[in-house]
Amino acid sequence: MSTEQVPSPVTGLVWKRLATVGETLSEGDTIMLIESMKMEIPVDMPRAGVLKAILVKEEDSVAEGQAVAEIE
Amino acid sequence: MKMSDNPAMAELETRRAAAREMGGAEAVAKWHEKGRMTARERIAAFVDPDSFHELGMLTGKGRYTAEGHLIDFTPASSVMGQGNVEGRTLMVVADDFTLRGGSSEGAVSDKWIYAERMALEFRMPLVRFVDSVGGSVKILEQAGRTKIPGYALWPSTALMGSVPVASIAFGACVGLGAVRAIGAHFSVMVKGQAQVFAAGPPVVKQGLGHDVDKEELGGHELCTRVSGAILNAADTEQDALAQVRRFLSYLPANAWEAPARVASGDDPRRRAPALNTLVPDNPRRVYHARKIVDAVCDQGSLFELAPGFGGSLRTYLARLDGHAVGVMLGDPAVMGGALTRAAAQKMERFVDLCDSFHLPIVNLVDQPGAMIGLDAERAGTLLAAAKAGAAIEQASVPWVSIVIRRAFGLAGSMLGPWNGPNGTSLNHRFAWPSARWGSIPIEGGVAAAYKREIEAAPDPLARRAELEAYYHRLSSPFRTAEAFGVVDIIEPADTRALLCRWARDASRLVQTQLGPKRRTLR
Repeated sequence: MSTEQVPSPVTGLVWKRLATVGETLSEGDTIMLIESMKMEIPVDMPRAGVLKAILVKEEDSVAEGQAVAEIE
Repeated sequence: MKMSDNPAMAELETRRAAAREMGGAEAVAKWHEKGRMTARERIAAFVDPDSFHELGMLTGKGRYTAEGHLIDFTPASSVMGQGNVEGRTLMVVADDFTLRGGSSEGAVSDKWIYAERMALEFRMPLVRFVDSVGGSVKILEQAGRTKIPGYALWPSTALMGSVPVASIAFGACVGLGAVRAIGAHFSVMVKGQAQVFAAGPPVVKQGLGHDVDKEELGGHELCTRVSGAILNAADTEQDALAQVRRFLSYLPANAWEAPARVASGDDPRRRAPALNTLVPDNPRRVYHARKIVDAVCDQGSLFELAPGFGGSLRTYLARLDGHAVGVMLGDPAVMGGALTRAAAQKMERFVDLCDSFHLPIVNLVDQPGAMIGLDAERAGTLLAAAKAGAAIEQASVPWVSIVIRRAFGLAGSMLGPWNGPNGTSLNHRFAWPSARWGSIPIEGGVAAAYKREIEAAPDPLARRAELEAYYHRLSSPFRTAEAFGVVDIIEPADTRALLCRWARDASRLVQTQLGPKRRTLR
């Protein structure tokens, strides 16, 4: 199994982490929400897999394209 | 008498046969090994069967004996002519890479420029199959001189206001090849095999010392997602051809004609009850905006342009009760729906396309405003937004807007033409009950206007929430409707019925507005 980094789709603040490290998730499941332009923008699983790591904390500022999670 | 009994007729057939051979059996076999179609195969796969009428087949270079007898003939690396697509005639011009890399030289440019001029003069769509690495220094030797770059008689810009132009990047498209691929109303590139750039990796290495591979420098990821130079990506050559056929199906043959209506089996009054609960009550929650256009447009009629670029704005060619229309849709799941530089550039281009070819525009608005922040300011978001706004104001094609959720600020004001080029645009606008609008959003606006009062309150957060709740009640769309600030607030389920009725009226109106559009400076 290869590890893949999941990028933030948007510049903003990490609002809420919804998934737990170690969890097995389906494609499209939401890992966390990024707050941007007063909206909660989901960071979704690009494919089914296991959430290996979350690379940011709630309230962290993230840039568009920055890796925020690792999946396997 | 058989053809071969007449020497001139036999020579004609010999030369035609050589043209059909292109770069020769070996070069064609190598090309097929790469999984690619030749220029002639691409044309055959694109046009209706047996409809291709080739022009300029005898252009090329003959070799002769000292006595002046033909030894052999090498055709020009460009195949062009007329063909039909869905029964409608158009010009198609294809670079032949099996000959000197499809390089642009000598009579080759005369030939493809002729195709473009013929499309302009006869008011037919133009389709370019680009697979060209640009100029070669070897041409200098043949000509014995250099030239100031450029092509007299190439009507590149005039074409864009007159006839639909579509291009497919099939391979590396460099310099002029890149311009021919990019300068079109619809452009598509084949993933993994097409790259579009000003200059390839060796020139970049020499000029800048950077090591970069061609896919990174001009592949589909960059062109269709980052720069927006090419609108769509295709998985295969066949997919690219199908996308161009699909694109052309919505457009008239030229700016003097109206788009054709097709038969639709979809009930124009079909209700879509799922839309009534699509937009979440919590204003911070996103929703699947695509479900709106899926439910509203004729089934199977959506064709998305530039899906990977400026995704906070989605742009579609579509049909409403068989009438071709352009649809813009705000997507809150991408960048919160903000008007980014990319989205603004995409909007400007899309509005120009629809206005030029008489496709009435449906704008489904969820617009929080132009993207904010240092990156957005540096990117020139405001300039791009202003130009998109100008394109809307210059559009004279029928227009209807439905505010789905938000319409805020400068970008929110760009929901349709306020005056239009003739000063008479109706600004026909509707809203769903979930809509909210204003010059600035309540949350930030309250914090700014009541800064001192909130800070002085015993419980600043509670005071702010109280003020925000008060202003939210004031911002009910029904209060705007009382003042006729919106024509009507509709049940989302009935959106299709409203739009289909409008599309019929709009389609009748464009019949009276045909011809090329003139636009002022923007």
